[in-house]
Amino acid sequence: MSTRVVITGLGVVSPIGIGVPQFWKAALEGRSGISAIPSFDPFPLEGYRSRIAGRIVDFSPDQYLPAGQGDRVDRYAQFALVAAKEALADADFKMDRKDPHRVGVIVGAGMGGMVMGEREITQLYEQKRPHRVHPNFIPVITLNSASGIVAMAYGAKGPNLTISTACSSSAHALGQAMHAIRAGTADAVIVVGADASITPLVFAGFCSLRALSTKYNDAPERASRPFDRGRDGFVMGEGAGALILESLAHAKKRKARMYAEVAGYAATSEAHHMVIPREDGEEVATTMRLALKDAGVTPAQVDYINAHATSTTVGDAVEVKAIRLVFQSRADKLAVNATKSLVGHTLGAAGSMAGVVSALTLTSGQIHPTLNLDDPDPACALAGLSKDPQTRKAKVALINAFGFGSNNAAVVLKTVPS
Amino acid sequence: MANTIDVSGKIIQALADYLKRDAAAIKPTHHLRDDLGLDSMAVIEMLYRIEEVFNLQIPDQDLVGLTTVGHVIAYVEGRIAPAPAKAAVKKPAAKRSTKSKKA
Repeated sequence: MSTRVVITGLGVVSPIGIGVPQFWKAALEGRSGISAIPSFDPFPLEGYRSRIAGRIVDFSPDQYLPAGQGDRVDRYAQFALVAAKEALADADFKMDRKDPHRVGVIVGAGMGGMVMGEREITQLYEQKRPHRVHPNFIPVITLNSASGIVAMAYGAKGPNLTISTACSSSAHALGQAMHAIRAGTADAVIVVGADASITPLVFAGFCSLRALSTKYNDAPERASRPFDRGRDGFVMGEGAGALILESLAHAKKRKARMYAEVAGYAATSEAHHMVIPREDGEEVATTMRLALKDAGVTPAQVDYINAHATSTTVGDAVEVKAIRLVFQSRADKLAVNATKSLVGHTLGAAGSMAGVVSALTLTSGQIHPTLNLDDPDPACALAGLSKDPQTRKAKVALINAFGFGSNNAAVVLKTVPS
Repeated sequence: MANTIDVSGKIIQALADYLKRDAAAIKPTHHLRDDLGLDSMAVIEMLYRIEEVFNLQIPDQDLVGLTTVGHVIAYVEGRIAPAPAKAAVKKPAAKRSTKSKKA
């Protein structure tokens, strides 16, 4: 029997709250974190078809971190540090009592250090002074800056990895952390997902891809509406989620509080298209089935799905097709929700936030509402979706995450083993 | 009339360049997806080029109706057509006017 892996700590930085208590309260109350983007100064806002996002407003790293800890990293890594700090405190995980080489850090990030990145690129091309590129440019934009700084902040010297698979990054981070512990290469892993790329160029890029919602610029809180007939694209978000994973034996030995077991994971590629999912849902269904098989559970045993559900016309429909392929008559008996309806699509952070939500759901029996489900699209209707909070003693949760690059992940959580 | 030919010609040429085909083989009746094999991403890329050629921005909500080459041509023609001239209002000669002029 392979080593079992549990979640002992949670942390989150999100558009609906910094810190799990604030985040979870807001989630259950159905609060939206989507707001109007005030400016992309010096670029004209009129040049952006979408003008809303799940923003974290008035964030200062010094409010949450020791002085200077966040100085040399970009915004996404600052979010990662804050979320990791909360998760470690929540887990009561004392690094100084651990063999540091047995504690790893695995970060999922899609875009990375784009705030400074775009600024330096713009300045170079405008001013043509290469010698004035900031010395910290490379350390900031290198995609492993968050995993590096988290390891440094806590002295975690075990496997240190960054996974970048776009929107499925931190779901893969969760799964790979599970593998590392199962394989015996770590006793514990700090898993973080983080992204902060509501930046002039990245945002413009998503606008040009026609991927973002543009119909609700005047009513931002209504824009992220997964599975609703009026959905017209995703809403970008930013933030971080963190989970402390440990082997069951390690957690039991130190009498750690456990939220849930990370029981299964699957990573696949559709090998189909960089941004368009296969419309028949077959590949996504395969990913889900493989994760369930890895977890040793059948579709009949699943109670809850934290859907990928980005609020795109095609993506939401494909996901529901896949859910119906896997769960068949049980599909309408599952509780399902869409965290992105609250916080937008946080890209690399999405999988980790789904992990945080799912762990809290299994622990509390509470399921946050799916916002703006005013007129469910028959093409992707599921009876278990609700615009109201639900309660359910869920024992098995499935997390879906599908990334650009045809990159799919599914993670299975179970209630804590007795 | 010259404007219409230009729009149609430019759009078909842009498609031909993108698809690496002879422009003569592309007809206004061709369906972008079913006949020309453009998936949704390719359509977006094509329309990006057309926006560049004609210096216009196509809002997301206008994409839905653009399914054939002819639709794209008609849409762009409609967007670049000059605004209709305002109807001329005959005014009495200024010297003889006793009414105050509007600012």
